[in-house]
Amino acid sequence: MDFGLSEEQKMIVGTVRRFVTTELRPLEDEIATSGHLDPDKAKEIFKKSKELGLYAMNMPEELGGGGLCAVDTMLVEEQFGHTSDILIRRAFGNVYEVMLKCNEEQRKTWLLPSIQGERTGSIAITEAGAGSDAAGISTRAVKDGDGWKLSGQKCFVSDGLYSDYFIVSAVTDPDSKPKGISLFLVDKNMPGVTVGRDQLMMGLVGSSHIELFFDDVKLGREHLLGQEGMGLRHALETLGRVRLAQVGARAIGKSTHILELMTDYARDRRQFNKAIGEFQLVQQMLADSVIELNAARLMVLNAAWEIDQGRDGRDQIAMVKVHAAETLGRIADRGVQVFGGMGFCRELPIERLYRDARVYRIFDGTSEIHRTVIARSLLKRGKVLFDVPA
Amino acid sequence: MKALVAVKRVVDYNATILVKADGSGIDTNNLKFSINPFDEVAVEEAVRLKEAGMVSEIVVVSIGPAQAQDTLRNALAMGGDRAILVTVDGDVEPLAVAKLLRAVVESEKPDLVILGKQAIDGDCNQTGQMLAALLGWPQGTFASALAFKDGELNVIREIDSGNETVSLQLPAVITADLRLNTPRYVSLPNIMKAKKKPLATTTPATLGVDVAARQRVLKVEPPAKRKAGIKVGSVAELVAKLKNEAKVI
Repeated sequence: MDFGLSEEQKMIVGTVRRFVTTELRPLEDEIATSGHLDPDKAKEIFKKSKELGLYAMNMPEELGGGGLCAVDTMLVEEQFGHTSDILIRRAFGNVYEVMLKCNEEQRKTWLLPSIQGERTGSIAITEAGAGSDAAGISTRAVKDGDGWKLSGQKCFVSDGLYSDYFIVSAVTDPDSKPKGISLFLVDKNMPGVTVGRDQLMMGLVGSSHIELFFDDVKLGREHLLGQEGMGLRHALETLGRVRLAQVGARAIGKSTHILELMTDYARDRRQFNKAIGEFQLVQQMLADSVIELNAARLMVLNAAWEIDQGRDGRDQIAMVKVHAAETLGRIADRGVQVFGGMGFCRELPIERLYRDARVYRIFDGTSEIHRTVIARSLLKRGKVLFDVPA
Repeated sequence: MKALVAVKRVVDYNATILVKADGSGIDTNNLKFSINPFDEVAVEEAVRLKEAGMVSEIVVVSIGPAQAQDTLRNALAMGGDRAILVTVDGDVEPLAVAKLLRAVVESEKPDLVILGKQAIDGDCNQTGQMLAALLGWPQGTFASALAFKDGELNVIREIDSGNETVSLQLPAVITADLRLNTPRYVSLPNIMKAKKKPLATTTPATLGVDVAARQRVLKVEPPAKRKAGIKVGSVAELVAKLKNEAKVI
């Protein structure tokens, strides 16, 4: 059992780390103050990253992506976690694995331009009445000749303002829920598509989260992604890896970043003639953080390794999702505490990291829904979930 | 023209260095190692010369433990063509390093050898100079700019009194200072290509070089902790303190 990183892995992590530190982090303060990333700077970081082959690294090499395996993807995603959501999206791209369901023609229209960074797509699955209950959607795609007519509304469409197309879930066969759900590729400029409000959030400043309205949008067969009626299954099959990367690995990166700031501060900040790191109550916060962080990282990499072995990592991903997100929550909270008054102050990045951390326990399935999934699976499958397979 | 670049695996410049309790050296357990920053500049310069059409092949060499392969792969990912690792365990003194490099130079016959001006671990700053002396080649140390002109290599050197320009006949030895260039990011495709580039290993015995230590490290200790500074009220007070207490002016 080799836990060491290979030469290539060290180099990839090194390059991404340097890129994040040198090119992206210096832009964070301006985004926090102005509320958005300057479009010229967005273009600049995209161009630099693209030249280095750092855009769409999760996509297969033969399609123009970086061809990283799941473990390598997690290692770079952890580094992404050291900066903010909007900078990650513009610099490294966000091409969802579900797009690999595209057929030849669809690849040319949507997937390949996305890997090249010429187009951007967002996931539009969540509705006001359907969050974790993705099967409970009311957006309908009604058969219309050879195609469909789409109507309904979505919310929390991340990066929706920037995106020019959406991956939309809609009920195609209301009698056979949850099987009767299909996925559609919907261009933003299609007649009947209306962009609603940008929903302002507690954190993730600079990223948009929009409402979308569909009013009898005419969709031809070329807009159906994957098989009709299999939308939920397609989403479940592929969103696990996204969840592991964008919640699990990034939570580890964020935790690492906060712990680094906390450790330095505990070493330097003096009260009562000694560094606050010499006080045992502060030490407990530091020790708990480093213990939990290292455990969570191993879980992320192990789940990724399972994916690379071709196994179904869904239970494990659910466990990682909960543990990594909650670890981040605790470390961010302790971070504010160790920084004291300065942790609450906008002069330092800690309060921003704290606000950004909160959503990790919510998006991509709340901790509660994942615990439910885990417990159900545990009761059904038993020790496969926790014992050594030997 | 063929360029040979020497790179060393050193403790990362960002790592926190702790001295072993018995004073025999530093504790390298779990430490991150990287390419010596000055050597990274040396590799970058060779790659730029190749991109400018001045150099046709870049051979990177390292002397160190098996893990120095990481350092060589890094240099290959930056643009080196092939690598040679002289496997040695433990510290090797600059003169032994220079002799090993001479042996490699004699078999590879490069027109230009580029090294970092010093390694950030031992800070010896001797290898390049010793290599030039052993080979009987001209040297341009502490280089901050290189330019080829009329078959000669002009090197701008950063020295205490400013910048000095020297003209060298090839073959020559160059040591790189930090301002020579800013090393590039290694791109993902180049990282993948580096895996397939040839990396040969050899040993001091094969090269016929005795690397036995001629010096003995008696003790390693951390630098003394800095004392807290004081605030002075005026320039006059500052000057007086520098003159009378610190005695530096």
